[in-house]
Amino acid sequence: MPIAALKENDMIVWMRCSLPSLAVLVLGTLLGVVPAAAQAPVKITLWHAMGGARYDAITKEIAAGFNKAYPNYVVEPLYTGKYGEVVTKAIAAVRAGDPPHIVQVFEVGTQTMLDSGAIIPVTELVKPGDIDFADYIEPILNYYTVGGKLASMPFNSSTAIIYYNKDIFQKAGLDPDTPPRTYQDLEAMGRKIVGSGAAPAAISFGWPSWMLEQAHAMHDKPYANNDNGRKGRATRVRFNEPFGVSVLERWKRWADEKLLAYGGREYAPNKAFLAGQVAMLMQSTSQVTTIEKAATFRVGTGFLPRIEGQPAGKSVIGGASFWVLKGKGRSEQERDAIVKFFKFIAQPEETAKWHMSTGYFPATKTAVGLLQRQEWFRKHPNHETAFKQIQEGPDTSNTRGVLLGNFVQIRNITDTAIEKALAGRLSPKAALDEAAREADNLLEEYNRIHGGK
Amino acid sequence: MEGRFPDRVLPYLLLLPSIAIIVVFLIVPAVEALRLSLFEVAPFSGRARFVGLDNFRELLTSEVYRASLGVSLVFALGIVTLGLTASLAIAVLASQPLPGAGLCRTALLWPYALSPAVAGTIWALMFDPATGPATVAIRAVTGLSPNWMMDGGYALGVVVVAGAWKMLGFNIVFFLAGLQAVPRELKEAAQVDGAGTGRVFWRITFPILSPVTFFLLVMNSLYAFFEVFGLIDVMTQGGPGGATDILVYRLYEDAFIAARWGIASAQSILLFVMVGVLTLVQFRFAGRLVFYG
Amino acid sequence: MARARAPRLASQALLALAALVVVFPVLYAAQISTLTFQEVFVFPPPLLPGRAFLDNLREAWEKVGLGRLLLNSAGIAAAVATGKIVLSLMAAFAFTYFRDFPGKRVCFVLILVTHMLPLPVRIVPTFQLMHDFGWVDSYQALTVPFFASATGTLLFRQFFLTVPPALSEAARVDGAGPIRFLLRILLPLSANNLAALFLVEFLYMWNEYLWPLIITTSDEMRVVQIGIKMLVATDAQAEWNVIMAGVVVAMLPPLLVLLALQRSFVRSIALGTEK
Repeated sequence: MPIAALKENDMIVWMRCSLPSLAVLVLGTLLGVVPAAAQAPVKITLWHAMGGARYDAITKEIAAGFNKAYPNYVVEPLYTGKYGEVVTKAIAAVRAGDPPHIVQVFEVGTQTMLDSGAIIPVTELVKPGDIDFADYIEPILNYYTVGGKLASMPFNSSTAIIYYNKDIFQKAGLDPDTPPRTYQDLEAMGRKIVGSGAAPAAISFGWPSWMLEQAHAMHDKPYANNDNGRKGRATRVRFNEPFGVSVLERWKRWADEKLLAYGGREYAPNKAFLAGQVAMLMQSTSQVTTIEKAATFRVGTGFLPRIEGQPAGKSVIGGASFWVLKGKGRSEQERDAIVKFFKFIAQPEETAKWHMSTGYFPATKTAVGLLQRQEWFRKHPNHETAFKQIQEGPDTSNTRGVLLGNFVQIRNITDTAIEKALAGRLSPKAALDEAAREADNLLEEYNRIHGGK
Repeated sequence: MEGRFPDRVLPYLLLLPSIAIIVVFLIVPAVEALRLSLFEVAPFSGRARFVGLDNFRELLTSEVYRASLGVSLVFALGIVTLGLTASLAIAVLASQPLPGAGLCRTALLWPYALSPAVAGTIWALMFDPATGPATVAIRAVTGLSPNWMMDGGYALGVVVVAGAWKMLGFNIVFFLAGLQAVPRELKEAAQVDGAGTGRVFWRITFPILSPVTFFLLVMNSLYAFFEVFGLIDVMTQGGPGGATDILVYRLYEDAFIAARWGIASAQSILLFVMVGVLTLVQFRFAGRLVFYG
Repeated sequence: MARARAPRLASQALLALAALVVVFPVLYAAQISTLTFQEVFVFPPPLLPGRAFLDNLREAWEKVGLGRLLLNSAGIAAAVATGKIVLSLMAAFAFTYFRDFPGKRVCFVLILVTHMLPLPVRIVPTFQLMHDFGWVDSYQALTVPFFASATGTLLFRQFFLTVPPALSEAARVDGAGPIRFLLRILLPLSANNLAALFLVEFLYMWNEYLWPLIITTSDEMRVVQIGIKMLVATDAQAEWNVIMAGVVVAMLPPLLVLLALQRSFVRSIALGTEK
């Protein structure tokens, strides 16, 4: 069929369809009635873990924004507990044969999701040209790309940086605009802070095992075998090798010198930092907006301090992403709705808004450009630190982030080991060796269950 | 037997609803859990590999699991002892006809209106190692600044107190109800006979309280073994260094966060057996000492 | 006279102190709910209440729609408490007031067992069962599986054992049937136990979190404990002031139940002793 004819036919069809509907629209508008859609909108469900300040951002801004922009589709977000609970609930739903369309999964769940047999990789769903993934910031894309395929849709990505209290720095006679670049800097500054009485302690950090992972990636060291589990499934962890042990020994020395005030896991130590009881805090970038909002002092940020004499690596990505679940009999429209939704959140305006309200990465270069044009970073330099940090350093298998089966448990085990070492109940070496033995057992179990690959 | 009705069918009818609910919603899923304990299960696909008793062997030979068992016993013992003695003492005080006792009684019940997780949140804030008011007070009085994020023994102490605190209201309600049942004439008669307050308590009040005490003993043990994972999750996540890693928290983590159904089922079977034995012992020994008026 | 007053004063002081210590964490939570986000982190911690309670409450209320959640929770908790009372009263009566019947021990053990099967492990099989029943995201799923109660059965059994057997003997001699005896004589006698059990089970269900989380898939079915959890931020500094405002509100319905039932305790006991 000649192209011209096709176009002409299409034109006629278009005219036939749209003239009456145009009439209805005009009439409807005149009467003040919104014309009812020919079909009920296609509904897709999104299970997420975003509570607190993030809840409004995801429901009132993102989902409501999408629903307004695409009247034929409805995204229904549902809070389903904290990250681990979201995954469990999704598992129950998958097993019962009635899963949600999209589920938000934390980075430690990546391997489990990959092996689930219940997902549609984003690469297979999104047709070329729908979303420009080349525009995504590479380390973020790299984290969720496994075996050359983008497995999930990047959403809330973070990394770790160092926060510091400029007022305390000034009180201790330090330059409030210079954060520590190396562990040596940190120790020298810390002694001055504690010695001068500017603060009871110098440093704290959240997510202890993630910090150990960060230290490995920052210095291009493997955390597990098989290229950090990216060439094939990891069968053995490597954090108890001399490098890992030396990091934990360093932390232990800080604790002995009373520089480090260990404040618990996850976000527990934030409180000590915000109360001015500790001068520096290594913590996720996802905290930057709330820390600035809560602090009654000037907040500074810097790159994660490096260990002198070690090769350069890159800090690693954390946070969560959106996974598409297969489900039985998903219609073409549903798949289309999912793609439209992903397209929507990839828009620079949406990405930038999400970044500004949370501190998570603006995930695309266009969004970063937009933020720069709006002078956002000039006014909020702390929001730019993480972005600058992941621009540095080489992209190697060690810096793309480790993939492990049973990762949630392994994080737990490593946290326990770090706590045992810091409290002096075991030497750093012994604690990490013990943890590695347990972690290896968990990896073996995982690989046994999921079959060799 | 005296006072019993001869009906043969009625008791079954009376029991039917309870038994039906238990069989359908508890026994059937529990049997499934028992079956799962012999498998290693892939979470999403449900694909299972039969491993016999390997899950149990793995648990029983694991140092971590055995350490966790020890922590659980200390934890349960702490909660039961602290919870029961404190609430009995307070209930005895509050049952006296003192001015303002009614107000105090009401206030004492408040903690029970909170869920374990919320109670844990409040205690975690109070004992925050840098900024919590409790820490500030301890520092002011003793000069020490204990950090329960690092000090395992202290952490266990704090979670025991928080866990017992949350159950205080529950215990006090029952002790108060029990104490009201003690006939005043009996106590007065004993006092007229020259018995001291302590003697009256142990000889008269306590035996009458014994059914309540026994009931609370069982309830508090079960609470300490099963219901506190919300509290642990919020306060310590089993840390520092495994110091508060009680069995039910491991179970919650493995089943609910990590989706290791096989090993989690094995843990629940072990926990079930342990608590079953414990309850049996309580019924055999303590139950025998209970005085039914 | 003076000698008698001194220990009285001491007991009074001791009681007040105990009450204060016990209630302090709750007051502390309430105090936090009156602070602004920044004031929460001030060091040393402020001792007096702030002025932000209404703002915090409004934020908590609007963010998670607390009104609906409170209604849901109250309805579910009341239904479960009532169901448990009815079923366990029947069961305890069967255990104590009839001649031994075959299977009695088995049934007793079965009921005791309900307390020893923690939810985390049953959760996937039970979820699948609910799915097969078509009960996912329904009020049935939130209530019916909880109706059996070891606590209640145990409590009523303990109580029935303390009731003089002469009572039922007399009823029997008078020709009253067991149901009549249960409703006319035993039930009024159990008033304080009924109140206590209602309280315990209402609070248990009010505070339940895991099961509602797993079994509900819509905003309409959500309960208040999940609402509170929703106030706790993911990957962000928790807004303790807002969370505690939610906690304070979520505490009120159980406290009201507590106050209401406490009075009925006292009344039933007072009647009992005066006669």
